[in-house]
Amino acid sequence: MTTVRIRDASEYPEAARRLFELSKAWFGYDFVEPPAMSRVMAWDPGFGGPHGRAMKRAMGPGEFTRAEKEMVAAVVSGVNACRY
Amino acid sequence: MKEDALWYEAASVVGITNALNVVADGLPAEILPPPTEPGDEARAVFDEIRAFYGDMPAPFLTLAHDPGYLADFWGALRHAFDDHALTRRLKEALAFAVSLTSRSRFGTALHLGQMRRLGVGERGVMEILGVAQMFSSYSKIADTLQLESDMGAIAPVDRTPVPGA
Repeated sequence: MTTVRIRDASEYPEAARRLFELSKAWFGYDFVEPPAMSRVMAWDPGFGGPHGRAMKRAMGPGEFTRAEKEMVAAVVSGVNACRY
Repeated sequence: MKEDALWYEAASVVGITNALNVVADGLPAEILPPPTEPGDEARAVFDEIRAFYGDMPAPFLTLAHDPGYLADFWGALRHAFDDHALTRRLKEALAFAVSLTSRSRFGTALHLGQMRRLGVGERGVMEILGVAQMFSSYSKIADTLQLESDMGAIAPVDRTPVPGA
């Protein structure tokens, strides 16, 4: 049971809904509803905006591929015992 | 990263990295000094370890109190880190991220050194540091709000059999 009510995408302002389209492109997956984390991060664009940009900068291809970094992200989440 | 084999391999790296870090950070040499005169069996393993790392990480010295255990532990670690489906370079990056996330000063320093030794530059180090930091953030945000996983459908299911079956 989540601590807060995760709003549907339709409850967000237009600017946030445009971000959900970017999120869909990032994951390359057509979600029925954007992932809960995307909707959480869209709640406060002043935080979610730079946080998302930092994530994309870290995850973008460089010395390591995006796929390799997804694996790093998965093991970090595992160490943090995060099921999400 | 669709094949399960890659994830089994990554899990072995995470597990054995944590095992080494537990001894290194929790049982320093001043608490349990290594044997003063390790026997031939332990010395043969030490030679392999030095060749693998270019150095001798301290916790292996502690494990030499039981040379048979040292040999088996080293065998598992070596197998986990060798190039198989994943490269050793990526495995050192995974171990660095795991050590950083679990606050192991020993593991963070060891695997950072190994990444550099294997040719990872400062940009690559910052990439892994950034991923570890950002996903530590997402993890805690998800936990604080007790979000339920809704991303599982993204991953394809691997139906290939167990090796050797």
